[in-house]
Amino acid sequence: MKKTNSDSSPLGSKSRRVFLKQIVSGTATTLMIYASGARGGHKIARMWKQKSTKHHWAYIIDVGKCIGWGGCVRACRQENDVPEGVTRTWVERYVVTEDGVYVDSPKGGAEGFEPLSEDLKEKAIKSFFVPKMCNHCENPPCVQVCPVGATYKSPEGFVLVDNDYCLGCAYCVQACPYGARFINPEKHVSDKCTWCHHRVKNGRQPACVEACPTSARIFGDLKDPESEVSHILQEGIWTVLRPSMHTGPSCFYIGLPREVI
Amino acid sequence: MKNTSRLSHLYRLGALFLVFIIGFLVIKQLTTPSSWNYEVWYRGASLIENANKPLLHGGNDSCKTCHEDVVKEVKKLKHKRLSCEGCHGPLAIHVRGDEKIADAKVINQSRWQCLNCHEELISKPKGFPQFTSEVEKHTTIEEGETCLKCHDAHDPTP
Repeated sequence: MKKTNSDSSPLGSKSRRVFLKQIVSGTATTLMIYASGARGGHKIARMWKQKSTKHHWAYIIDVGKCIGWGGCVRACRQENDVPEGVTRTWVERYVVTEDGVYVDSPKGGAEGFEPLSEDLKEKAIKSFFVPKMCNHCENPPCVQVCPVGATYKSPEGFVLVDNDYCLGCAYCVQACPYGARFINPEKHVSDKCTWCHHRVKNGRQPACVEACPTSARIFGDLKDPESEVSHILQEGIWTVLRPSMHTGPSCFYIGLPREVI
Repeated sequence: MKNTSRLSHLYRLGALFLVFIIGFLVIKQLTTPSSWNYEVWYRGASLIENANKPLLHGGNDSCKTCHEDVVKEVKKLKHKRLSCEGCHGPLAIHVRGDEKIADAKVINQSRWQCLNCHEELISKPKGFPQFTSEVEKHTTIEEGETCLKCHDAHDPTP
């Protein structure tokens, strides 16, 4: 009787035991992989939050203060030897009309902005300047895609490029949701804003921040509770660009209109 | 009759694999920089290289070294919050070591230098002083006349 049952059923007593064993071992393996993976992920996340470092740098851009003179872009070009045609930081002019939103940034705003055409000026509901740059994300997509470890998040929060290791494959240029990266036409490697890492390490502010006459750009240490950035982030109303990308930008915007992408 | 095992071809294959693995490990060891950070996956020396780039802009405090009187004076004037280097150019072009290598005079004294900030644009924050032709004297500006004819660059009171 027993034998007959086992023969007639595709899931006999023996195969059922094997099947259950496999289920149990498979689940255990999956859980182990998941647990180890989750631990690893947590470790990286903790590292990127710079819990153990001396500084945690942050950059604040006050859109309402920007006059669009482009001195920040010029200072950056000189300080970091940025070639013609590309830019590490740039200023965009937004003109919001009933027909749509117009955006321009001639030469990254390096030479300022020409007056709007009379037609556009009349149609404009509002207009403003938005300085942009690398957001030095907590979870940078550009670092994830680099095949050779040539771009990395430094312990203090700078996203930097290793010029000697970069192949110039431009995966990172594609990965950046903010368009902050480019291939340097002279060095043929990936290039981007470094928050003037060399200046900050020498106790100075980034060149663009020092150049700004209206304090639209502010840079500081979140580890220092008395710093201006700490006060603004604790008390002010701020946002980041493209929060839905979950990149965790370290550039915070004050007064960012909803039209800005 | 040869005294070889029936598995000798597998031993040879195993030896080949061993040689390959050892070779791979040796090459990996030789080509990986000693400063490689395995946790974050980058060359540690690159962090130092990035930090050692030369500084070009010295900031307003660096101007004090030679021009203390001017910096003090400008601090009382309207343009006190401006970066000196914004108009005068970066420090590194003006001074190397303790030696002056070039003049820091503003070469481009055209109207663009002023209008760069003060041109009337609707995109600018309200309350920011902008050039306007509503001022009577502005209506009589002749071709080639600079703003400096009436205004002081460090203290451009209207």
